[in-house]
Amino acid sequence: MPTHKIEIELENLLTEIAAFYDAKVWHFITVNGIDLGEGKIELQWIFSKYAVKNEITLFYTVTKYETKIPSIVSMIPSATLSEREIVDMFGVDIEGAQKGLYLDEDSLTMPLRCSL
Amino acid sequence: MPSRKKVVNIPLGSQHISLLEPIRFQFTTENEKIIEVGADVGFVHRGIEKACTEKFEWKKVGYVVARVCGLCAITHSLSYTLAVEKLLGYEANERIKYLRMLMVELDRIHSHMLCLAHVSENAGFEAMFMQIMADRELVMDIQEAISGNRVQFDFIAIGGVNRDITPELVQLVHKNLDLLKPKIDDLMERFTNNWSLSLKYKGVGVLTYEEAYTYNALGPLARAAGLGTDVRAESSYFPYEEVGYEMVLESSGDIYARNIVRLREIYNSIQMCKNIVDNLPTGEIIEKVKGKPDGEAIVRVEAPRGELFYLVRGSKKNFLDRVRIKTPTFSAIPAMMEVFKGSEYADAPAILASFDPCMSCTAK
Repeated sequence: MPTHKIEIELENLLTEIAAFYDAKVWHFITVNGIDLGEGKIELQWIFSKYAVKNEITLFYTVTKYETKIPSIVSMIPSATLSEREIVDMFGVDIEGAQKGLYLDEDSLTMPLRCSL
Repeated sequence: MPSRKKVVNIPLGSQHISLLEPIRFQFTTENEKIIEVGADVGFVHRGIEKACTEKFEWKKVGYVVARVCGLCAITHSLSYTLAVEKLLGYEANERIKYLRMLMVELDRIHSHMLCLAHVSENAGFEAMFMQIMADRELVMDIQEAISGNRVQFDFIAIGGVNRDITPELVQLVHKNLDLLKPKIDDLMERFTNNWSLSLKYKGVGVLTYEEAYTYNALGPLARAAGLGTDVRAESSYFPYEEVGYEMVLESSGDIYARNIVRLREIYNSIQMCKNIVDNLPTGEIIEKVKGKPDGEAIVRVEAPRGELFYLVRGSKKNFLDRVRIKTPTFSAIPAMMEVFKGSEYADAPAILASFDPCMSCTAK
């Protein structure tokens, strides 16, 4: 499946997604995180094109654990659970995304951080 | 005149007589009409993504992800296997593709039948629930005969499938699916003409065409609202065009439409299964695949409830760097919450059943 991978700066995330996303053309799949170790995480926002075979677009950025990450929920309401999942699993801070989807709200664990 | 509006908060779940899955909703109702919804979905979180990268080596992960869900185990192991095969630079031969496709479509039939059974039960048809579950055994018997198991098949392996299909099994596929078809005809008649299953559910739990786009609906939920999306048509992991795949669309987006989409998809899957066993290509059923996963692969597969997404990243080690699983019900929950708003509280269990939620998948 050919994937168009587009690297973006985190501060440009909302403008990049706003310029790209048309709800009738692109299906939002999910937000993903991959712990790279040494305090860094790769974040991905993944989309597929409706009615076109094998077309995936993936925006990604590498940032530090403690960076405040903007939320895309205002543009894509269905991203809310994906963002909450990333907050739970990696202990990162996504604007407005509440911890406690899978873990307790006051849980100190961050299961998908490779260092823990 | 004083206001007669009465606002009441009503929790539904996580354990409730009308709920089949551990999910908790918090409904705010105004005179029994739902005006706000909150959902808690994490009751059966098992840390499977973590286990896939820390507890199990990549060769065993296909068996781990099959345990994400009992109903669509085959689509989970298929998605993972396709992703790993992509990283190893391997593409299965046509016979393997056909055998895998057969099991995936059989899985769709029995999963849709389970959903229809639950919808019937919610409408008060308990005997019909038992009847559909009994008829569903025709498909379960085929799955067991082919794979050796009714539920956790472990049929798909990296490089192929674990068991071949014999001429006797081809006969069994035809015999049982021929027996099943008139039973689906009967169900279609009931879901179309019975007052409680058709008229009562028309206009209830509506997801509009526009909302389907806004909330990224998928699977039967989207197709019932007229949104023409199906990973079988948007990917080329299997040669679906060769075996008679047709996208099923309805337009009203209500419970009735979701039932009809599932029934029509059962017909299409029955026909595809028969075409598959009649046109099985020759070839090995399993091939040697060498190497260790290196790089990143994305795979989407159409599970019974919609798009199942896997992202696998490896770096030539025994343990993978990341296995990301996004299940269909997880994506459907925002749309589900939107549909509840404006509905009568009394309809909530029926609406929920029509979404065919799988919390085992969602919480993984």
